[in-house]
Parts: sequence; structure tokens; C-alpha cells
Amino acid sequence: MIPASSLAEALGLAAPELILAVSAMLILVGGAFGGRGSSGVASLSAVAALIGAAVAAAWGDQGVAFRGGFIADDMAAFAKAAIYAASAVAVVLGERWLGRAGNAQFEFPVLILIAALGMGMMASAGDLIHLYVGVELHSLALYVLAAFQRDDARSSEAGLKYFVLGALSSGLLLYGASLIYGFAGSVRFDDIARATAALEGEGTGVLFGLVFVICGLAFKVSAAPFHMWTPDVYEGAPLPMVAFFTTAPKMAALVVLARLLYEGFPEAVDQWRQVVLIVALISMAVGAFAGLAQRNLKRLLAYSSISNMGYALLAISAGTAGGIEGLLIFMVLYMVDSLGLFACLIAANRAGRSMENIGDFSGLSRVNMPLAVTVTVLALSIAGIPPMAGFWAKYFFAFQPAIEAGLWGPAAFGLLTGVVAAFYYLRLVKTIWFDPAPGEADVPPLDAKLIAYASAIWAFPVFYVVVSLIEPYAAQAGRSLGLS
Amino acid sequence: MESLVTILVFAPLLGAVLAGVLGKRGDSKPAMAVATVLLFLSAGLSWGVFYQTAWHELEPFVVRIAPFISVGDFQSAWSIRVDTLSAVMLVVVTTVSALVHLYSWGYMAEDGGRSRFFSYLSLFTFAMLMLVTAADFMQLFFGWEGVGLASYLLIGFWFHKPTANAAAIKAFVVNRVGDFGFALGIMTVFWMFGSIEFAEVLPRVGEFARTEWAFAGAQWRALDIACLLLFVGAMGKSAQFFLHTWLPDAMEGPTPVSALIHAATMVTAGVYMVCLLAPMFELAPQAKQIVTIIGAVTALFAATVGLAQNDIKRVIAYSTCSQLGYMFFAAGVGAYQAAMFHLFTHAFFKALLFLGAGSVIHGMHHEQDMRRMGGLMRYLPLTFAAMTIGNIAIAGFGVPHVFGFAGFYSKDSILEAAYAAGQENPTAMFAFIVGVLVAGLTAFYSFRLAFMTFNGPAVWKHEADAGHGLKAAAHHPDDHATAAQNESHSEPDVSEHGGAHGDHDHTPHESPWTMLVPLGVLSVGAIFAGFVFHERFFGEEQAEFWRSAMRPDRVLFPESTSRLLEEAHHVPEWVLWSPTVASLIGLAAAVFIYLLRRGMGARIAANAGPLWTFFYNKWFFDELYHFVFVRGAAKLGELFWKRGDRDTIDKLGPNGLAALSYFGGRRLVRIQTGFLYHYAFVMLLGVAGLLTYALFAFGAVE
Amino acid sequence: MNAFLLEYLPIVIFSGIAIVLGAAFLLAPMVLAPSNPDPEKTSAYECGFNPFEDARLKFDVRFYLVSILFIIFDLEVAFLFPWAVSLMDLPEAAQRFAFWSMMVFLGVLTVGFIYEWKKGALEWE
Repeated sequence: MIPASSLAEALGLAAPELILAVSAMLILVGGAFGGRGSSGVASLSAVAALIGAAVAAAWGDQGVAFRGGFIADDMAAFAKAAIYAASAVAVVLGERWLGRAGNAQFEFPVLILIAALGMGMMASAGDLIHLYVGVELHSLALYVLAAFQRDDARSSEAGLKYFVLGALSSGLLLYGASLIYGFAGSVRFDDIARATAALEGEGTGVLFGLVFVICGLAFKVSAAPFHMWTPDVYEGAPLPMVAFFTTAPKMAALVVLARLLYEGFPEAVDQWRQVVLIVALISMAVGAFAGLAQRNLKRLLAYSSISNMGYALLAISAGTAGGIEGLLIFMVLYMVDSLGLFACLIAANRAGRSMENIGDFSGLSRVNMPLAVTVTVLALSIAGIPPMAGFWAKYFFAFQPAIEAGLWGPAAFGLLTGVVAAFYYLRLVKTIWFDPAPGEADVPPLDAKLIAYASAIWAFPVFYVVVSLIEPYAAQAGRSLGLS
Repeated sequence: MESLVTILVFAPLLGAVLAGVLGKRGDSKPAMAVATVLLFLSAGLSWGVFYQTAWHELEPFVVRIAPFISVGDFQSAWSIRVDTLSAVMLVVVTTVSALVHLYSWGYMAEDGGRSRFFSYLSLFTFAMLMLVTAADFMQLFFGWEGVGLASYLLIGFWFHKPTANAAAIKAFVVNRVGDFGFALGIMTVFWMFGSIEFAEVLPRVGEFARTEWAFAGAQWRALDIACLLLFVGAMGKSAQFFLHTWLPDAMEGPTPVSALIHAATMVTAGVYMVCLLAPMFELAPQAKQIVTIIGAVTALFAATVGLAQNDIKRVIAYSTCSQLGYMFFAAGVGAYQAAMFHLFTHAFFKALLFLGAGSVIHGMHHEQDMRRMGGLMRYLPLTFAAMTIGNIAIAGFGVPHVFGFAGFYSKDSILEAAYAAGQENPTAMFAFIVGVLVAGLTAFYSFRLAFMTFNGPAVWKHEADAGHGLKAAAHHPDDHATAAQNESHSEPDVSEHGGAHGDHDHTPHESPWTMLVPLGVLSVGAIFAGFVFHERFFGEEQAEFWRSAMRPDRVLFPESTSRLLEEAHHVPEWVLWSPTVASLIGLAAAVFIYLLRRGMGARIAANAGPLWTFFYNKWFFDELYHFVFVRGAAKLGELFWKRGDRDTIDKLGPNGLAALSYFGGRRLVRIQTGFLYHYAFVMLLGVAGLLTYALFAFGAVE
Repeated sequence: MNAFLLEYLPIVIFSGIAIVLGAAFLLAPMVLAPSNPDPEKTSAYECGFNPFEDARLKFDVRFYLVSILFIIFDLEVAFLFPWAVSLMDLPEAAQRFAFWSMMVFLGVLTVGFIYEWKKGALEWE
């Protein structure tokens, strides 16, 4: 990586962040003057800014800036493009949803922009400070988003719980970071790597710090046992916000975790792999088993995301370039499935109320066939049933690198929990197709419908084409990190 | 020639598909017409092939169509083998099938599923042709299973009748037992020879003549084992003793089906296979002995049972079974030519008898019980004539050295060969004695059938007023009774066709021309088939006649069989006369009991003496099998299902794991209390746990 | 006294002064001020609330809004002091960078300020 030689060059590397930051502030001021009616324009501008940032991230220059604190490489570019895209979808979904709920406010796109800014910084973080600033920036925006329906008690509760527990996890993260800094003498990942290598087995203190940081980031990706907030927050928060929570922040946190582990501790793979594996295995198990008992679809999807994070962590624990490649593609496919499912939830209403329980979906196939097919395709995909995208995501991109790294046992365990988890997806499918319909469903809103259809078509068969297109970039991203 | 035989074989398949497709649109006439025309085309081509092969010295050949299975050494191809053996079968199959197609226009005229029926018939014909033209065991097996499937479909053609369904399933299951042996036999052959192609296996049998395998503490000749296993398959398909129980029940199918499948063609597949594999069987003396014994016992058994049956079709079914026994013991003693000859002639007169019986049933408005017939000679003169020809043919009447009907020549040749072989082989002598005895029994039951049906008082007149109600009452009231336990059946179902029949009176009527023409054609065959083909099949010209496509020297049957035939031509004169005399005795008995002493037969039945009861109940085979196999299997199945599957595997396996998972999920969710401090506590526990693990794993604590 | 500990001497002095001053402010009123206690005066000071009652009651969120906004700008000032003190000691190039960095920071804060003003967060009614 070439260090930026001048301030202008450094700012050029950070162009996506600059775009997001400036547009966030402009929209904020504009919205403040424009009043309530400006939410549509604000959202439109936010989407434009996100697309612009994604383009800048994908095709911009690469290099290191701000004394190694900011890294623009292939992995950051890939992750940012995905994050910004998911954020743009979330803006669309949320803007329309809030409009229908009578709560359209121009702050919503601003918050998404700020969150996206923070997540982009996480993806580019080259030292612990940038990592922490990114985490806090996006987290604070997410707390507010969770509580966005101020008049809804559950939404407020969700925001508060998320905030308090998030503060706790930030504490863990900071404590770990300070331990690492104390023992390694630097906050920069490459310096840490050099320092740990020099410690030669005396690095327990650094690894202790690392365990704390892993715990802090595990909270952000809602990996068990740091997942406790997830079901409650997902259930309480507004649907489009949850759609956002399950996608972009997970990507950002996983990428920054991968970067920290791969670039900061390349010599200690065997040590951190054990910790990551434990978290991954617990996540898979909790996500699969606890999901069995859920009736509320939002809670169910919370557990679904927990188990999927287990698979993602499994890919990371491979400790190889293939692991990063698998992680990135897995996350992209998972994000599409997840966004699609939440779009379905947004689209499925009866008498003005969202169909939140599995029972509400009874006989959907007789009421709204296209939507039923869409939910089915996406549920089968996320359950990992061929030929849907989720099958390849899970078995080829998440398990394959782990198996190649010799992690047979954990992969087999993942397979087993996948079988258990398949039950609740299939139950949803069964409910849709075989149970009697209690009544007509409302006409689905256009935006959610289209996004859901697009996700389903992506899950099968478009992804077969797309995956071959993005796979080289993901492979390149995997090679951009320290481990081969 | 190659393209012609390909058309010959695949025309019925085309007919089956077209009939099935066309039949979907209301009118079934086009479907029937297509199937029938294609079958007649096939039959014409068959006669051409047969003519060329038998008289014009057409060299046997094999057409390769496409590869079938290719796995390592296991090579199999779709092919059409044309030699004398398959040419004979082609003629038999396509001729009878074409006539049955024509016959069905009349017989099935009132049935709603006619196009389906024709489609099945053509499908059967195709499978049978695949069977007879096979050039390797795999295609033979394919055809074998194909005819089994068609047989199943046709027996259960009236699927709304529980008895027909039961009979179809029974036929299928019993055949499965035989097929299991057949499949094992094929595997044994493959193991021995490393090939399943006839052209590779048959010329090399000599190499394995002395091969022995040790099994269960004894030495077994490999060829004996292979032949016995293959013979088990033949027993199933050809309804031989122990595996015969399905054939009488198969009469649940429409009568044309009985004529085609369960008399003339499919059931002879076992005989055909044994003859085809003659080189193997010739080197397997023990297997030959067993074939002889089973054949002889079947001939006797079926004939005795046939004496006491009252259902017109059942009598003929047991007669079929008995005649198949003849064929098998002919093959068992080594006279494959005689077996094939009898197969050939039997196809004509047995199809004739069945179609005649069908004509009677048709004329009697679906009455099958002979006790309710009688005096039909006046009403069905043409049918009567045809049936009489058939009965004379099967009884084997004829004057040695002069002329006889078809059965006379073939049956006599079998008995001569058995006697000739019996000079050195006591089993063959046993078969000879049984054969002569059964010849008498055959004449008796055949004419008993004729007299009960066509002569005597017209019993049906008294019942005409009561209509079909009485007949229905005569049936066993138990709906669940299997076909085996029911004595007689109506066909087709009265409930469906009663309305159609209500239009005309209940006087028996002669059948339409579509049914009479096949009877006429077959009558000609039943009269002359033996006389015309005798010399070629069995006489002086047999060595030139039987030529094989499977050996380089074109020899179909081994040298030893020719020597046996030579001896058979020089047996003492009394041997030639003995079957004729036995038949005359049987005829005389039938005349005495059923014509002169009217009512004597009914009295014998009413007395229900032990022997009569034994015969009437088919030697209690169905009861025995029901007791041993059916109930045993059901109990075993119940045990596995309830104790094994449901209580053990399901309980501990899928259901148990599922319940455990669900229970675990419920427990896991209970920590999700909603209280912040619980959540924080769990998080901190997680941190503490991971740190503790790290402490030990990373070696900070010794 | 080694040099390392000597570095902490200002903190010790600072602590000492704080203690002395605190004690002085506590003790002086005891001696000088008139003492005329009533229940309101003796209770602990809490801006706008009764100090001892159920915490779960509705209260006006504006108290908090004002205090949060106050803290933000308070912190801004806290940042400005060290910046202002050390700015001129930096080398020429770094000076420009440091200056504009603070300007950007203030700009961001100003955006926030405009926002809260327009939203009416600064108006009590």
C-alpha cells in the first residue's frame, strides 16, 4: 500500500467518506430550513450520495492515508460498495415506510448517511482509533434509528436497550484496545503485528486485549453470547430499520474484525481462531435452536441472523485469503436474502397491520401468489437449499474455506445446526402454502414489493451470473490482507 | 431387413403411445384403430421374418440400436436378435396380439376405458418383443419386467373392483419372488463369465462345466446354481408349482388379456428363457432334474385342480398352467425343440379357448359360472365350433402317423422325448408317466367344460327373470375376499354395465364379427399348426431349422439334444398310442359324467368328498401361503413397523431429536427475559468465559 | 525523589490546592453565614425535582435537551483551549493543517447548532 504523500491525496482516498459527511450535513441544514415536507428530497439526495460514495469507493484510488489510520484497499472498496448499496435500499424502504406510518422526517436519511459513514470508516480502519470512531459513529446513529418511532413504546424500549448494551460493548472494546496499545505500544495494526511477533510467546496480555476487542465487535455483529439485545431490538424497532441492522452493520463489523485479526495478529492465528470459533459455534447453535421457539417473524429473523453470523465467523476463522473471499461473498448473498425477507415483511400487511407472526402468513399463497413465491424463494435460500443463492453462500463460501483450513468439525457442526434452522424456514413455507388463509391481505406497497421481487430473482437465478462477476473482486480483496 | 425388424419391434410401442395420447380426446376409435393397424403391421412383418428364417435360410443376425448400460465390464445394449428362436416367438406374440386387438373391438365395445386398454395391450406387446429379441440378459430382464408391468396394469384394468386390484398386486408380488431369483441368476452369470451378452456367454459355457463353489459346507456346481436361480425367475413368470398362485387370479383381467398374456405369450417367457439358455442347462444336470420335476408336478397339480373348477376362465387358466408344466419337463429332459413346439401350438389353441370363452361370456352377458350355462350350442354355433376345435387340439386327439390337431403333435413329441430320456433317467420316466396321466385329465376337464357350457339344459333360462340379482347374491358377500377366495367373478363389473345391457333381453347371442374372425384364424392354427410345422420343429429337419445368432457355429441347441430327438423318433409303438388312449379314456369319463348321467357332476360336487374338496380348493395352496407368508410377513412387518420403526428409530431418531431440539430452543429462549441487566450479565459471562478459556489455552496459567 | 515522580509534582500541588480550597469553602460558611434552616434549605439540591421520590415520573425533556446542548458546546471550548495554546508552537505546514482542522470541527458544530436552532430546541416554549 502506498502512503498518501499529501493532504489532498489523503482526502482523495477518503472521498467516499467526504461525500457522505458533506451530504449528511447539507441535508441536515437543508432539512432544518425545509421543514417536514423535505423528507422526500432528503431521501433522494441521500440515495444519490450513497451511490456516489459507492462509486467513489469502487473506482477510487487505493492507498494508505492519515498515518496508516485509513486504508483504502480492495477489501475496503468491496465492503463499502456493499454497505452503501444496502444503506441506499434501507433509505428507500424506510422513507416509504415512515411515510405510510405518518412519521416521515428528513433526519432519517441523515442518520442512515451518518451510519454509513461510520461503517465505511470501520471498513477502512487501519488503527484502533479509527476503528473505535467508526464503531461509535455508526452505533449512535443506529440507536436513534431503533427508537425512531418515538411514540411507540416498543421502539423506544428497543432504542434504549440497544444503547445501554452498546455502551457496555463499547467499554469492552475500549478496554481491549487500551490493553493492546499498552502491550504492543501502538494502535496501528501493522505495528501491532510487528510488536506481537517480537514478543515471542509472551503476548498473553495483547491476546487478552484482543479477546476484549473481539467481544466488543461480536456484540456489533450480534454473535452469541453477545446477542442478547438482538431479538428484543429487532422486535421493537421499525421494520426498515431492522432490515438495515441485519445487513450493513454486520458487514462493517465483520470486515473490521477480519482486518484487525489478519493484519494485527497474523502470527497468532492459532490463538484467535479458537476464540472466534467458540463464538461462531455458540452463535450457530443459539441461532438454530432458539429460533425453533419463535412465533414472531422479526424475532425469528433475529435468530436467523445470529446463526448466519456464526457461519460468517467460521469463514473468518479459516485465517486464509479464501476465508476473506468467502466472508465477503457470503455476506453479500446474506444481505440480499435478508433485505428481501424484510421487504416481504414490509409488503405483507393485513388490515393495515404488519404480518409479524408466522400465523399471519397462513395461506398467503391463496391471497397473494407473487409475494408467497417470493417469501418461499428467499426462505429456501436463507435456509441453504439448492439451487438458491443461500445454498452456495453457506456451503461454498462459508464452509469451504474453513474445511480447507482443516476445520472439519466446526463445519460439520454448522451443517447440523443448518439442518435444525431449516425447520423454521420450512415451517414458514408450509404455513404459506398449506394453511388456510384467515382473510385477504392488503395490496403490498410498490417499493417493498419491487425490492422483494428483485431479491428473490437475485437469489435465484440472477446470482449465478453476478457471483461470477464479483468473485474476482472478492478474491482480490482476500489477497489484500496479510494472510495468504 | 434390419430396418424392417426395427419397425416390427417398435410399431407396438408407437401404437401404445399414440393410443394413450389419442385416447385423451373423447372418441376412442382413432386410438384403437391406430394400435390395431400397427399391430397387424407388426404381425405381417413377423410372418415375413419367420418365413425367411425358416425356409429361406436367412442368416441369423443382431441389430444394435443403442447402448443401454456401460459400467466397466458390464456392457449392455439395446438390440434386436433375429434367429429361429426369436422368429418363432415373434410370430406367436404378434399374431395373437393382433388378433386380440381385433377381438377387443367387440369384447370391450361397452367399456369406457377402451383406448387405455389398447394402449396397455400394445405396450405389453412391445415389452414382449423386447424380451424375445434380447441379445443380452439386461434387455431380457427389461422385457421381463416390462411384461410384468403390463400384466399388472391389465389384470387391474377394472381398478374399481377390489378383487381385480388384489389379483394385480398378487401377480406382481409373486412375480417379484421369481424376479429376485432371476436377478440373482444374472448376477451369477456375470460373475462367472464377466459378461451378460448371450453371444459371449453361451459359446463359453463349456469352460465352466466343472467349476464348483463351496457354499454351506457342500460343493455346488456353478452352472447348476446359475441355472437354478434363472429357473426361479422362469417359475414365477410361467406360473410353475409354488409360484403358480397368481395365474388363476389373473383371470380378473378382461378375457382378451387372459388370452394374450396369461395363455399365449407372457407366461411362456419362462419356457422361452430355458430354451434360449439350453447350452447352459445342458451342462447343469441337477438343474435339469429339478426343472423336470417341477414341470411334471405342475402339469399334474394344475390338471387335477382344473377338474373341479366352475369358473370357465379358471378352468382354462389351470389348463394353461398344466400345459406350461409339459413344456418345462420337455425342456428338463433335454427336448428343447419339443418344448418350443408345444409353446408354439399351445399359443394357438389356448388363445382360441380363451377367446372362445370370452365369446361365451360376452354372449351370456358376463356370466362366467359354468353351472349357470348349458345348452348354448344352439345360440352360439360358431363359438361352439371354435371351442370344440380348441378342445380337441388341447386334448391332443389324433391318429399317430396319420393326422392330428396341433396339440397332438406337440404333446406326443414331448412324451416321446421324455420316454427316450427315461431309459437312463428315472426322473424323465416319472415325467413321462405323469404326462400320460395328465393327457387323460386334460381331455376330461376340457370336455367337461365343453359339455357344461354348450350341452345339457339351459340353466340360465330359469334365472333370466331374476336377472343379474341372483348372480350377485351367489357371490361371496365379503367384499374384502381376495380373488383367490372367490370362486367366480363377473366381468366386466355389472354395476357399471348393467345399464347398457338393460336394452336387450337376456337370451345368449352370438358375438360380432370382430370377435369371430380371430376365432376362425386361431382355429385354423389349432388344426394345422402341428401338422405343418412338426417336421421342422421336431422332426428330421430340426437341425437346419433351429439356428442361433448367439454362436459362431449357428447351433442353437447342443448336440446332445439332437441325439435325444433321434432316440425319441424310435420309441416303441405303444408309447405313441398311450397319450391318445389316455385322452380317449378322459373323454369317455367326461361324456359319461356330464352327458349321459346328467347331474352326476353336480352330485359329486355336492358330496364334497375329500379328494374333490382338495382339488376344488387348489390343494389349499392359497390358504397355506396366506397362513405362512402373508400372515407371517404381515406380523413381521407389524413388528418392524411398530416396535422397530415407530417405537425405536422414530422415537430416538427424528422425533426424539426434534423434540429435544424444540425443548432446547424453549429453554434457550427463557434467558431472553427482556431485562437489561440480565442481558448485560450474559454478555459479561461470555467475556469471562472467553477470557478464562484464553487463559488456559494460551498458556498463561500452567 | 527521582525524575519520574517529579513529573507528577504539579498534580500533587493541584490536588493540595483543591483540597484546601474545598475545605475552606465548606468551613467558612459554618463560621460566617447566618444559619436559619428550613426543610427546603436542608434538602440536597436537585435542579427542579424533589430529591427523594420515585424516579419514574414524567418530567420536562427540555431540561435535558438544554443540558446536553450545553455539554456539547462546553466540550467544544475544552477542545479549543489546548488547540489555541499549542497552535503557534507548531511548524509552519502543520500550523495550517491544524488551523483548518479546527475550522472544520467548528463548522460541523455549527451545522449542528443551526439544526437545533431551526428545530426550536433552544426555545423554552
